[in-house]
Amino acid sequence: MIKLLSGMVLGIVLTGVLAWTQAGAMMFNEYESPFDVEETAARIQANMQALESNGWKLSGIRDPGRAVAASGGNVLPVLLVEACSTDYSKPLLKDDETRILSILMPCTVTVYKKQDGKTYIGTMNAGLMGQLFGPKVAGIMSKVAADQAKFVTFDPKKPAPPLIKVKPGGGGAGGNDIGGC
Amino acid sequence: MNTLIHSGWRAACLALCLVAAPVLAEEAAPPAAQKSASAPQEVVAKTGSSTADHGKFEELQREFASGPEVTAACLECHTEAAKQIHTTKHWTWEYQNPVTGQKLGKKNVINNFCTAVSSNQGFCSACHIGYGWKDDNFDFAAEDAVDCLVCHDTTGKYKKIPGLAGHPTYKVMEWPPKSGKFIDPPDLQKVAQNVGPTSRRTCGTCHFYGGGGNAVKHGDLDSSLNQPMRYLDVHMDAKGPNFTCSTCHVSDAHEVSGSRYSPTAADTEGARLPGQRKPGSAPTCRGCHGDAPHPTDAKLNDHTDKLACQTCHIPEFARGPLHTKMSWDWSTAGRLDENGQRIKVKNSAGRVIYDSNKGDFTYDRYAIPDYLWFNGNIEYTLFGDPVDPDEVLEINRFLGGPDDSGSRIWPVKTFTGKQPIDAGLGTLAVAHTAGKDDAAYWGNYDWEKSLTVGMASVGAEYSGELGFVSTTMRWPITHMVAPKDDALRCKDCHRDNGRLAGIDGIYMPGRDRSVLLDTGGGLLALLALAGVLVHGGGRIVAHRLRRK
Repeated sequence: MIKLLSGMVLGIVLTGVLAWTQAGAMMFNEYESPFDVEETAARIQANMQALESNGWKLSGIRDPGRAVAASGGNVLPVLLVEACSTDYSKPLLKDDETRILSILMPCTVTVYKKQDGKTYIGTMNAGLMGQLFGPKVAGIMSKVAADQAKFVTFDPKKPAPPLIKVKPGGGGAGGNDIGGC
Repeated sequence: MNTLIHSGWRAACLALCLVAAPVLAEEAAPPAAQKSASAPQEVVAKTGSSTADHGKFEELQREFASGPEVTAACLECHTEAAKQIHTTKHWTWEYQNPVTGQKLGKKNVINNFCTAVSSNQGFCSACHIGYGWKDDNFDFAAEDAVDCLVCHDTTGKYKKIPGLAGHPTYKVMEWPPKSGKFIDPPDLQKVAQNVGPTSRRTCGTCHFYGGGGNAVKHGDLDSSLNQPMRYLDVHMDAKGPNFTCSTCHVSDAHEVSGSRYSPTAADTEGARLPGQRKPGSAPTCRGCHGDAPHPTDAKLNDHTDKLACQTCHIPEFARGPLHTKMSWDWSTAGRLDENGQRIKVKNSAGRVIYDSNKGDFTYDRYAIPDYLWFNGNIEYTLFGDPVDPDEVLEINRFLGGPDDSGSRIWPVKTFTGKQPIDAGLGTLAVAHTAGKDDAAYWGNYDWEKSLTVGMASVGAEYSGELGFVSTTMRWPITHMVAPKDDALRCKDCHRDNGRLAGIDGIYMPGRDRSVLLDTGGGLLALLALAGVLVHGGGRIVAHRLRRK
């Protein structure tokens, strides 16, 4: 009996340790991009715009490195591409139980350079994250995940589109001076 | 609900942490000039620390029709200035390297940007400190041909336009051509009355725009240094030390210290107080910071016999908002649209990546340097040197090595190119690119005509066999010094595939392995563990035996 209990406890502890160390990485996806930071971000924007039928609209682009530079420091280039789909945001914002998930809006795809000189793309693992919040959220987030996969699929034969410098707070789906989502 | 909140805490925290500035934020505006409150302050504001107000000089109380007229007026007081200028590299565009014996300078080097000055002087001389250099007949002894204003203008209104042989425009002119933008001629009287010390802007008029545009050539010099913030350069920080170029590049008799052709790779003279500086003293980090620049970390100081300061303290170049050009492929130039017109294609960041005049380009920002041993000597591949079109040609080779005590590991920008050669002669080609004549490549896209005229300008006859060769050209990185918190850390180099992975001749812990050392260390660790286990086990056994 003691062996059985101690085995269970050990299993729980090991599972906990595994979850603690791996869960963070599982929450996000990272891809390598063949393009530089600006072109990658611009191609993601173009892909987002191509999914307008799913309600997606650009809602901003941010450069966190600018804030670091303003404080006197340096970081390698990083751009946050933001978009929002009312098709997906509306059901979540309608329900008091899920309004807290507005903290994850707008949908952000990050593009950054690393010390190896290569460009990487980071997205939230929307599918997995949605599963943590029950069937309604899981259903919506699985659609977001499917669209996310299209955001980061590029056709290298297409010429580089210009980076759209939509100001956060100045655009987005239904945006006004504050910005919509 | 609590479960929901806790389950998503990591994502929520991350989202909260992503407080970022809008991408469109512009560079910080320069500090606004303080308005003078009284007459003495106005004088100080106008003249700086100078004891002379050029606005009161009788010689400058007149209209000037041209730059040389201004120079003649300057020389009435500064009687030796032109003679001094005539001996400088800024004037001659020539440099005889005493070590390699090569005759260098802009006049002689063929690079992998715009390639060569010869036959293009009327265009290139927009960055010559003189007036009238349009061909080989230019009089390098003419005193009134010296351009004082390009270095000493403080108004920011004096600009030399490519194609005018070093002159500013003297009438309203469309520039760039066919752009619909027009520039006014400078008010030469006003400019002359407001001359002053050189500034980042005046030096940058040329040095920030080398290679045919802003941020193109050097990688560590571009217009973002006109009013740099601290992150970009701790010394030039406009709200901090606010160094100008001349703070380090001290001049004597108009000869400015420092050289791209023979830089000081290892300064062993230590820190020098201003009074100890000799004329032409190299502008080096150690010239101020000394041989032990890290007061609280002796281990870092141990690195200074192998590393240039720049290696750690300029971790990336082109750290401003501008991308620097990294490659240039001339072989694709000349492609036109269906109407036979020039094509320009821009990348997502808005920089031109294809131009019919020049070919294809690539760019980078926060570019990670290459590293190499460098003792300050550079060998160039010059016109006439043999070229193998099947090999990558080094336009310049940085000399030095691990066994050379005068060498240090330096960061460099490696610019790659593909440029025309005369395949028949087997040498780099001189192309005539700029000008309004029929042979200029930037007009009719005819390599045959362009190379015939270009090669003739250096006394060669074009064989008629056009070829292209892949090239590299290296540039030492020495500006855009980052704050010390952003310097490279130990682990950036002391690991596999670190920054210095390609550096040979030294043993670097963390990067390099010694089988003997690693095996011996491992064995010692195992022995220590075995000793602990045996000793501990023995104690347990002995304890149990005693209890029995």
